[in-house]
Amino acid sequence: MTFLDVRNLSVQAGATTVVRDASLCLDASHTYTLLGETGSGKSLLAQAIMGNLPSGLSSSGSVAVFGEASVAAEPAKRRKLWGHSMALLPQEPWLALDPTMRVISQVAETYQKVGRSSGGVKGARQRAATDFLSLGLAGAERKLPGALSGGMAQRTAFAAVRAGGARLLIVDEPTKGLDAGLRDSVVSMLKQVAGTGGAVLVITHDVASARLLGGTIGVMLDGEIVEQGPADQILTYPKHDYTRKLLAADPQTWGLSPQPSLGEPVLTATGLSKCFGKQQLFANLDIEIASGERVAVTGPSGSGKTTLGSMLLGLVPPDSGSVSRRPNVPLWKYQKLYQDPIAAFPPRVTLRTSLCDLLSRHGLRWADVEKWMERTRLRASLLDRLPDQVSSGELQRIALVRMLLLQPVLLVADEPTSRLDPITQQETIDLLVECLADSACALVLVTHDEAIAGNIASRVLTLKALHSSMP
Amino acid sequence: MTIPSDHILDVGNAARKRMTPWQWVGLAMIALIVLFSLVAPLIGRDPLVQDLDHVMTRPCAASPLGTDHLGRSMLARLGYAARLSLLLAALSVLTAAIPGAILGVAAAWRARWADTMLSTIADCVLALPGLLFIVLLTAFAPGKFWPFYVGLSVALWVEYFRVVRAASQTLLHGSQVEASRMLGFGPVYIVRRHLLPELISLLRTLMTFGAATSVLSLAALGLVGVGLRPPTPELGTMMIELLPHYQEAPWLIAEPILVLLLAVTGLALVAGEREFK
Repeated sequence: MTFLDVRNLSVQAGATTVVRDASLCLDASHTYTLLGETGSGKSLLAQAIMGNLPSGLSSSGSVAVFGEASVAAEPAKRRKLWGHSMALLPQEPWLALDPTMRVISQVAETYQKVGRSSGGVKGARQRAATDFLSLGLAGAERKLPGALSGGMAQRTAFAAVRAGGARLLIVDEPTKGLDAGLRDSVVSMLKQVAGTGGAVLVITHDVASARLLGGTIGVMLDGEIVEQGPADQILTYPKHDYTRKLLAADPQTWGLSPQPSLGEPVLTATGLSKCFGKQQLFANLDIEIASGERVAVTGPSGSGKTTLGSMLLGLVPPDSGSVSRRPNVPLWKYQKLYQDPIAAFPPRVTLRTSLCDLLSRHGLRWADVEKWMERTRLRASLLDRLPDQVSSGELQRIALVRMLLLQPVLLVADEPTSRLDPITQQETIDLLVECLADSACALVLVTHDEAIAGNIASRVLTLKALHSSMP
Repeated sequence: MTIPSDHILDVGNAARKRMTPWQWVGLAMIALIVLFSLVAPLIGRDPLVQDLDHVMTRPCAASPLGTDHLGRSMLARLGYAARLSLLLAALSVLTAAIPGAILGVAAAWRARWADTMLSTIADCVLALPGLLFIVLLTAFAPGKFWPFYVGLSVALWVEYFRVVRAASQTLLHGSQVEASRMLGFGPVYIVRRHLLPELISLLRTLMTFGAATSVLSLAALGLVGVGLRPPTPELGTMMIELLPHYQEAPWLIAEPILVLLLAVTGLALVAGEREFK
């Protein structure tokens, strides 16, 4: 049976078309993966299918759900199906949980109110408890969402969505920013839905997730589905240029970066230890970083990678041990690149103002900005926007430019590309390595992606196992 | 946690700071009252001069809003009363907001002891009902203006302190401020670029509500007879003076009520939620 049949769906934002003539078909027990970069319109396509487009956007075309056709622009019919027949698991699902309510009650509530399950409150609670067990969430039932890790929150949100009983599930970027282990578990959850007679439409920029999901893949570029077909075929014999580029940008296929020449040490840390509550993150860690060196810190989520990075910058005090920097070098020569670049800019002023502030603080010239902007292939017109008006990839490059202006000696990059699509990710990492090599700046790259770590780092430090190894 | 907005496009941005129609209505009401308080005393007579030959007249050309039970010009009295209320509101809101906000930022900044001390003081003030405190102060200087001003300011600053402290704590612990600090920026920059832009809209809302509270408190105290003393024109005292005559001249008591209603509703409407997205 065909669960979802979308014909010639377009989405307009004023005069511009952001999704053009998208058609796709999803049968029971199948998955369909929409693959594309940020801004390609894949989330909007999903919202148009659900019928919850943001105001100011209009859609045309037709959407048939469970064989019932409706006009895309009139979502009232589909809205009646929300929750119990079709459901959307949004991006950053932890934002979809109620922060003041214990998680098991949130799932039980969905069973009771949306899924209309039998057995009343008690039955709903029992079902929720069973879900928690099967999703590996045992012990987390009575926690508040704030006390859960990202992966656990994701599984909780998934449990809540599934509790509604929807057989057609639309999932927006379920694996964004997750490490390989969590990604695999999310993918297997989704495959299970398809395996039990449901249908899943997944939106992602992650080729690895698409490969694991199998099913059908549609590749989206600038609002159009440029290629679609069975996963094996698309991933092995891509026809469209863009698909080829996308596959080539997979970190697994990158070459090794040239080895840097090392200089004097810029940072020495001895005997670092950190506990988080009762859990020991790492103990007795010694690190010495030479100028120009590229060190990758990897490990599963929750292993303290980010904490270690912050500790090297002096943002988090260690429980024991010490970090010493090179004397006579000002503190601002040690910089950090954030996972989400928007987290590093004053939100209410234009990027130009931010950069000008920095220039006047350190007595630098605008010519330097122009030099680095050119180097990182950024248009100057971007600078007149607010931080949330440029794409993540561009903003990350602007953040890089901002650091480079200070001629840093050490840069800690905390998952700088994990939220970017593969092509942008490769561009950004390449630029990062090139620019730092030019200025002999050391790099500590915190990443969950071992492929990237292996490609660019001269030394990989793996946490959890608590040892340092040379490749 | 920041919500990535790249997939929403820029649709919401233009609308972010636009005022709602109701806020325009509120603004118009306040403008009307301000204009009235400026113009009315100019064209009316001395608000204290009695004319016992013409008491409780209906609105006419000589006295556009009529005269009260002592033949005084209602236009002039209402104008002065509105001016007094607005002046008190503006003064006490400013006196409460500026130190309240500064102390709030100071408490959030770092030193634990400063935070504890300031928060304790704020809690103490909060425990004392504001109106009661004003009544206590008026005992020292019956019928004077300053007890209201001091009392309201002391009662109101806590609100600014607490809200600003809570908001600043979140901002100061956020990654944006962390990033700016690492880039070598000092406290002045953090206040100017990170705190102020976020706090200003909060403060604007609090200040409009605070102004409404001040206007209402002054009138309430006047109405129960512990406010300013007659013959000073004040909305609350005027209401209580005109109350015995509401049957013969209902328009008279309606006038101060209308002025008060307009001022408070106007302020409440302006303070109302801004349209986000």
